[in-house]
Amino acid sequence: MSSIGLIGLQSKRRAYMLAVLIVANVMCTVFFAMDVIADIESFGSGEASHLMVEAVAAIVLVVGTGFMLFELRRILQRNASMEIGLRAARGDMQALIDGFFSEWRLSDAERDVALLLLKGLDNDSIASIRGTASGTVRAQCARIYAKAGVDGRSQLMSVFMEELLGEPLAKRGDAGALQVA
Amino acid sequence: MDATSTRGAGDAGIQVIPVWDPLVRMIHWSLVAVIVLNGFVTDPENRLHEYVGYAALGLVVLRLVWGLIGPRHARFTAFPPNPVAALRHIRDTVSGRNLLHLSHNPLGALMVYNIWATVLVLCATGIMMGTIRFFGLDWVKEVHEVAFSWLMASVALHLIGVFAETWMSGVPLVRAMIDGRKRVPAGRETE
Repeated sequence: MSSIGLIGLQSKRRAYMLAVLIVANVMCTVFFAMDVIADIESFGSGEASHLMVEAVAAIVLVVGTGFMLFELRRILQRNASMEIGLRAARGDMQALIDGFFSEWRLSDAERDVALLLLKGLDNDSIASIRGTASGTVRAQCARIYAKAGVDGRSQLMSVFMEELLGEPLAKRGDAGALQVA
Repeated sequence: MDATSTRGAGDAGIQVIPVWDPLVRMIHWSLVAVIVLNGFVTDPENRLHEYVGYAALGLVVLRLVWGLIGPRHARFTAFPPNPVAALRHIRDTVSGRNLLHLSHNPLGALMVYNIWATVLVLCATGIMMGTIRFFGLDWVKEVHEVAFSWLMASVALHLIGVFAETWMSGVPLVRAMIDGRKRVPAGRETE
């Protein structure tokens, strides 16, 4: 657990560091690019070699910034999925479920139904608990499955089971491999 | 009834959701610094004003790129420019049904695009003033000045919007732009 936390902290620092570098890089890029444009405008005063060097510098900076942007996105995605895994590992199932429900943009009613679904109740029981028609529950279930992008009840379950079983181990291995590299 | 109480059970009533990544926050506050610097500190005739302007251009362009390739909440798809949705948001807010948005709310989204566009106009006219072709043209200077006034009005409205939304939704938005996390009262309807 503590090792995961440490890696999390490290990659958070990496993300901040990258963000600072990206902003600094972009500032330099704009500066060089503007200088190149100004030089082209008043050509004759500047020499071609000077112009070339600046143009190359600007291009290199743009490419470098691009790479850093994609690297930052990768780190952010990894941090996000690690956070999901950590929550599951801590048994913070409620927060995990709430997180997914929010991500799927379930309405209040749909959240209630989805939670009862996860608890293993069938449509008729849910309808009687909520005091609605079972047709309403069926429609709500269909919307929940559509929003969650799953085929049905068992797949909805497996979304959460996957976080509990597979994710944390896989992520730990992934992070370990990265540490070595 | 029963189901509602189960859902709220087991947490302290606040859900902490990471929303703004480090780059979004850095660009936001850098842009604030750059606008304050060029609006009130640097001398417009000075070279420094130009350089700070370049920085502003770089920041907005970077944010636009990040809006295409960045993580979910930073993407344009998370806050598309939609005047109809913005009107609906105003109506909902007035009628007390304030729907929670993890990225920018539809009205805030319009303001975001407006501020970026205004900064780009300021950069474009600023750069034009330094070129031989547009040097000394009055209309360029006028557009630059009008754009700055518009930017100041926009910033004022932006601040009012942020504090109004914070007050209505109970989600501290300034804090979210500092540490990146939105603290959402449990059980709020989010979109």
